[in-house]
Amino acid sequence: MTRFNWATLFSIPAIAASSSAFAADYLTVAEAQHILVPQADGFAAFPVTLSPAQLAQIRQISGVPQRTAQPRIWRATVGGRLAGWVIVDEVIGKHEYITYATGISSDGHVLGIEILSYRESKGGQVRDARWRNLFRGKTVRDKFKLNQDIPNISGATLSSRNVTDGVKRLLAIHAVALAQAR
Amino acid sequence: MLTRCKPLLGTLVEITVPEAAAGAVDGAFAVIATIHARMSFHADDSDLALLRKAHPGMTVEVAPETVEVLRIALDFYRDSNGLFDVTIGRELVRSGFLPQPEGSIWSRHQGTSADIEIVDDYRVRCHKPMLIDLGGIAKGFAVDQAIEALQAASVTEGLVNAGGDLRMFGVRKWTVGLRDGDGAVRTSIALADCAIASSSNFGNRRKRFGRLQTPHIGADRLPIAIPGRVSVISERCVFADALTKVAIAAPDAAEGMMKHYAGKILAEPCMGWAA
Repeated sequence: MTRFNWATLFSIPAIAASSSAFAADYLTVAEAQHILVPQADGFAAFPVTLSPAQLAQIRQISGVPQRTAQPRIWRATVGGRLAGWVIVDEVIGKHEYITYATGISSDGHVLGIEILSYRESKGGQVRDARWRNLFRGKTVRDKFKLNQDIPNISGATLSSRNVTDGVKRLLAIHAVALAQAR
Repeated sequence: MLTRCKPLLGTLVEITVPEAAAGAVDGAFAVIATIHARMSFHADDSDLALLRKAHPGMTVEVAPETVEVLRIALDFYRDSNGLFDVTIGRELVRSGFLPQPEGSIWSRHQGTSADIEIVDDYRVRCHKPMLIDLGGIAKGFAVDQAIEALQAASVTEGLVNAGGDLRMFGVRKWTVGLRDGDGAVRTSIALADCAIASSSNFGNRRKRFGRLQTPHIGADRLPIAIPGRVSVISERCVFADALTKVAIAAPDAAEGMMKHYAGKILAEPCMGWAA
């Protein structure tokens, strides 16, 4: 087995991190659209307002409540013909919101999931309304990076369960509101 | 550099590469997705589900990656005198950290890693009923495989981070924050061309019948609660990942294994171990 040169590895002394809050922005909505439906040559915003009956149906299908009646949906097209859908959604992560985009084919299959941005804080700050307000009303187009020099964190595993549940909910949105759209 | 992030392996997986190598990221994510599909405890069509549905003594055909992970797991089982045991699924189902698989009762799964036989690169035999969970090792393995996929695609440097189990390659030095047991990041270190994994259970405990339960199982298959975080650096992420579990269960045994796996333990200062 090869040996590390530990002297090289630790030549930079450990730095005390002053703050634990950080955010990572991975992709813009436009970048995610092209990754999720690469063959598409057009993405048009597709405004949908879900009726109370549709919201109830989505909850029934997915098992999780759909909180906004106006999901952010884009219709992907190739030469004007429907090629799939991209929905941008948010779920609560360990402490703060995770924004993600899901590509859904016209027949209702997941084409891919990309995390757009992820924010977190250390435990004590979560209930701090002022800290939370930093993020309120931000869209994924806004760039706000805290502690950008420490994006790589080794530590307790963060669960992706809420994202997985969110994708089920987006598939339900497709089933009740998009499957018939052309 | 460019970073993409996907929900895989039950966590968020980040891959960072130079902008010019953006095209290699999809292939690396695909490798991780395959490992996720084969080694999921939850999925009903994974290799683990095949193994748990098979009758004891039956030969089961699985993916070569699953055989490779099991081989490493059995090495760790031997080297740790049985402390690292992937048949931990029984305890994790009992304590509610994993869901009860349909049609199986956890108490019937008495087998340990000693009852696992690797037939060849594609076939495995379990001689007793058991619930295998690769949660303590598969993330690290997936990180290594993704790094290999990037290198095979001629990417010169990069980093793969599967929910805190991470590895980097190339000459660049990366700053890595270490998240302590309470969720705070107090320390950052600079690392190059190695892997690091961390484990803690301060934020992941529950009580069952008045007894404290954690996802870390030690001697006599009893749960272990530690106050802080243990990080391990090694050349391969699968080693770092598995070594954190041994370090939590038995720091002394872990120290003994560090030499063999070219590892180094970095404990949270309050843990009282040498960093």
